[in-house]
Amino acid sequence: MDVFFTNSKTVQHIIKNFNLTKTLFVSSILIGDPNIGKKSLVRYIFPNTPIVSGCNQYEVTEALNRYDELIITDFEKLTNQDNLDFNNKRIIATANYMGNSEIIDNLFGFIYQMPSLLERPDDTRYITDKFTEEALDILMIKKEDIELQNIPLDLSKNSKSLKKSIYTYIVKYSMNSIDIENILYNYLLENIDGNDAYREYLGLYEKPLIKAGLKKFGSQLKLSQILGINRNTLRKKIHEHNID
Amino acid sequence: MNINFESFVEWDNSPFILFNNNGKIIYLNNASEILFGYVSKKELYDIAISYAPQNFGYKTTSLTLNYDSFTFHSITVGYENDEQISIRLYHTPMIKTIKKIDTNNFVLTDINILLEANISLFQTKNQNPLKLLTDQDLPPFKLDQNNFSKLLRKVLDSFSLSEYIDITLKLLIGEHIIIEDKRKPIVQLNIKSNKRCDNSDEEIALLASKNKIKTIFKDGYIALDIPFIT
Repeated sequence: MDVFFTNSKTVQHIIKNFNLTKTLFVSSILIGDPNIGKKSLVRYIFPNTPIVSGCNQYEVTEALNRYDELIITDFEKLTNQDNLDFNNKRIIATANYMGNSEIIDNLFGFIYQMPSLLERPDDTRYITDKFTEEALDILMIKKEDIELQNIPLDLSKNSKSLKKSIYTYIVKYSMNSIDIENILYNYLLENIDGNDAYREYLGLYEKPLIKAGLKKFGSQLKLSQILGINRNTLRKKIHEHNID
Repeated sequence: MNINFESFVEWDNSPFILFNNNGKIIYLNNASEILFGYVSKKELYDIAISYAPQNFGYKTTSLTLNYDSFTFHSITVGYENDEQISIRLYHTPMIKTIKKIDTNNFVLTDINILLEANISLFQTKNQNPLKLLTDQDLPPFKLDQNNFSKLLRKVLDSFSLSEYIDITLKLLIGEHIIIEDKRKPIVQLNIKSNKRCDNSDEEIALLASKNKIKTIFKDGYIALDIPFIT
């Protein structure tokens, strides 16, 4: 990775500190929610440093014996934290949460808290643009063929849910009627059962039809004309499907 | 036999000061000169007056006096006429730590880098106005870098609720610390503010001792006397 984009003051401070201390024998840990770019940031500053995961205790112990400079990811998963010796080593760790704060406090000279994407709106915009470009490229969709201004972004799991929400949105808006039919076919094939399935699954068609119609034409009267059904029938269906 | 005692007093390790009856210094020995960097002559004159014997002569009183890194356990105040009064202050013996501290982990370090990085870390969590006055030309000296970073982090964290933070890093002139029977110059890092939290002082003192650093705690103030080991 050539650059690590951030407009967050906190992350800029963290980068500055890593650069200041990268020649010193100090141990640092970067703590923050999953999928907020901790590993990418550390890799950006220490591109050639050996990297091991805290999931594998044996590997970490071996690497600590072999190297003076080491990246340990998923540090919270390491079970022998209290037996580690970081003396005169440059250890850079990442963790999804603090775990035992006393041990962390004792091991690391520098303890950084990396803010989540919700706290970094500029960074989120940048990552959103990156994911969008990537999705358009992979799905071979032209930018001008799709409305990209109001993608409902999901930041509940940071970049992971953000990426999923962008891909899902773009996939959904790029589908034609055959794709939709195929999706429905696969879904029904999987789920159809019981003795009232016709009524039960009719909503898959009726609900979006009425919702989109109401949004597009405004009034029930107009929509009933467009759909070619009785106004009372339409009202009944709106009530049946709990459409607001 | 006529002996001139002046040079014995001059080079005595205990500060000795002779005042006139207006509080003006008539004479002070070498040890007092350093002490006056930390206490005013008025304060010492007032102490001398307060603890003077009732009649001509000399009186020794046990009391604890703290001036920065200096602590005294007693004083002798004396006068033989109405014009002059003297005060002599006795140093509290330093407790020698029995445990030998391994300096093998100490590596040549530019302390300004560690200080800058720790201030930057502190500023990711706090907004307090902070001023730093440092000697950028201070040559590298030996420290346990990780341990010293932990110490700095804890020291700075104790100022997280302060309204302002003034940090000064300088080489102390004329003061030394004895490490393994050798005199080492002292680099002092002091931090002043209106207030600070003293909950971690014990931990700070312990971390400092691992780096052979002496700590001085006061209200809203911490000083670290760091041995300049090369």
